[in-house]
Amino acid sequence: MSADVELSDVSVTFGSFYAAKNVNVKVNGGEFFSFLGPSGCGKTTLLRAISGFQEPSEGKVLIDNKDMSGIGPNKRPTALIFQNLALFPLMSVSENIAFSLEVRGVSKEERKKRADELLELIALEGQGDKKVHQLSGGQKQRVAIARALAVEPKVLLLDEPLSALDLKLRQRMRTELREIQKRVNITFIYITHDQGEALTMSDRIAVMNEGELEQIGKCDEVYNNPLTPFVATFVGENNPLYGKVTGIEGDKAKIETADGQYLATMNESKKLNIGDESIAFVRPESLFIPRDGDNFDNKIDVNIESFEFEGNLKNFYASLKSGAKIKFSVPNAIDTSSITSGSSIVLGFESSKSVILPKASLAID
Amino acid sequence: MRPSYFINFMMGIYIFIFFAYLFGPLIIMSITAFNSAEFPSITPWECFSFRWFNEGKIAYDGQHLAGLLSDWRLHDGIISSLIIGAGVVTLSVPIGMAAAIVLTQVRSQLRDIYYSISIMPVLFPGVIIGISTVVLWDRIAGLGGEGFIADIGRNGIFLTILAQTCFISTYCFLIFVARLQRFDQTQEEAALDLGASQTQVFFKILVPYLSPAIASAAVIAFLFSFENYNTTVFSILSDQTLTTVIASKVRLGISPALSALALTIIALTIIAAVTYEVLRRRAEKRYAESQEKFVKEKAADNRINKKYKAGFKIPKGIAAILLIVVFATYGATQVVKNDLYGQSCIDAADKEKKSKFLEQLQTLESNELTDEELSGGSLGGNQDYGDIFGDPSLFQDFGGFD
Repeated sequence: MSADVELSDVSVTFGSFYAAKNVNVKVNGGEFFSFLGPSGCGKTTLLRAISGFQEPSEGKVLIDNKDMSGIGPNKRPTALIFQNLALFPLMSVSENIAFSLEVRGVSKEERKKRADELLELIALEGQGDKKVHQLSGGQKQRVAIARALAVEPKVLLLDEPLSALDLKLRQRMRTELREIQKRVNITFIYITHDQGEALTMSDRIAVMNEGELEQIGKCDEVYNNPLTPFVATFVGENNPLYGKVTGIEGDKAKIETADGQYLATMNESKKLNIGDESIAFVRPESLFIPRDGDNFDNKIDVNIESFEFEGNLKNFYASLKSGAKIKFSVPNAIDTSSITSGSSIVLGFESSKSVILPKASLAID
Repeated sequence: MRPSYFINFMMGIYIFIFFAYLFGPLIIMSITAFNSAEFPSITPWECFSFRWFNEGKIAYDGQHLAGLLSDWRLHDGIISSLIIGAGVVTLSVPIGMAAAIVLTQVRSQLRDIYYSISIMPVLFPGVIIGISTVVLWDRIAGLGGEGFIADIGRNGIFLTILAQTCFISTYCFLIFVARLQRFDQTQEEAALDLGASQTQVFFKILVPYLSPAIASAAVIAFLFSFENYNTTVFSILSDQTLTTVIASKVRLGISPALSALALTIIALTIIAAVTYEVLRRRAEKRYAESQEKFVKEKAADNRINKKYKAGFKIPKGIAAILLIVVFATYGATQVVKNDLYGQSCIDAADKEKKSKFLEQLQTLESNELTDEELSGGSLGGNQDYGDIFGDPSLFQDFGGFD
């Protein structure tokens, strides 16, 4: 049922502008794969190239190892779920779901049977005669999914379908999407700018920036071992510590910053040499307030500036001697009443929890 | 008196004057349709009669004045107007729709130019469109000698359909553009993605979406075609449409049959508009009820299930309706009281006119100068002219040669 999708050297240009540049990805059959990137990074363009609305300027799109060039969107084994869902407002829910069967000349009884099956799959039994505008946001979402699944596509493409929903519904739909994907067992390619969505649902993610792929990998891999400063700061939060490499010990590198020396882990594919301009990254949750007996590889002197209560976490914003800003998070369960703004404390972090990468631009600049 | 009352009062007067200006002529014209006199008039009132809707009358001097039912030229005109209207609708609606769809496809730089060119026919004087169509088709008809091309090139109805389509399709275009601006193009993409061919996308997605626009474009195209004069008068050649028939009648002197026709058209328009409005409101009500039912199903809360008591409300237009009723009653009582209706009244009026006419004829004959008088009299001086025409007061009561 499911199919591999391969993008081989795909570039899409609009005039002299590269919306996507030399993208190489292989999505395995039955996988939940996400393209993650800020808006305007070219992820929607890639999706349109896969679905057939946009012919690549260079390179090839292969679905099930078949070259798709010259094959229109209505002939490809893909189904797309649009950002605005694009349900047909003049048709009933059942007619919407069975539209793909209708245009293929399937008989009326057959269509009704299939629509009922799909309504059951999305837990909307008996609501097929309603008009689209009588449904709630989450129900519309599910109808759009059912409509896309009606033709039994080999690949389902989703273009930020959850972005219009409110937070609670979005969280519930994430789980539902994942469940539907497991049940129908077809390839899902998901587009989002929300790293939370990408990390919770996907088997693998590809991070994109300005038309180019930055990193492809499993969720934890991308989160823990980012390949570029962009990925490090776009996927989750990260504190950058700018400096120069002064020493190398195995897979660890020593970085000399304006505020002191730290030890951080190098990425296997991004080896550094002494004297290289580089950035060490440490995540807010990896910075700890040392207690008795704790022995961290690295220590930082900080001056607390402000504090923010998030619920499960407490976020502290602090500055270093050089003026650089740093954020760290403490679980709500830990008592932090002694830390007030203006107080100076020492934070510690493990070199294994810190990544050092060659200097490049961040996602937040 | 509070200022808002004053403002409302002045506003009321303003609205009354505005509507009187708008509808006054139509009302007067409609009333004249029921006066049996040969000229459309309210005063002097002769008799109340439906003759101008039926057979018309044979005038006291023997001339036949056609009524609405017996005027074959009018009937022919209406028939060709209907044929032309149907032709214009079948041509302009698809042309306008196609042009509007093209507008959504062209690039933004081209779009302004395309739009300007598309709406240009509206800006041309209709006379020029009419003349140029005739000139062009006359040349085309002259190319191939005898045959089909020559026939249609000199067929007034065919030329009128083409000429009217030139600018009426632009109105259709504008209606479709307005509707298409609100069209979500991802719907087309969604349908394509679900396997529909371009043709299926057009018939299953775009046409249903455009159907209200198709209906209103068709109605507007028909109305524009039906009432068009300045293009038609040239392109119709030797045929006649309703408007050209009316125009030629007006040139010869108007008859109350035209008032009757006007009243009929007004009545048909009002009936159509009211029917449409009633149907629309009924559909709206049905939709609102289904929505309400849906909301009630969703919300188990009893507060919104409260029933509202249906009370009698005074219609807002009550003052206008009362005014019309008062005037109509007054008019009707006057007609009845003075016995100004029915066959006897008409016979009496005819008799009186006939006798007056004969009397005038006799006076004219008795005043006629002999040849000797004419040759003997000198031709200079006003005195002599006065003699030739006799007493000018004789003509005062003469109704005219209609």
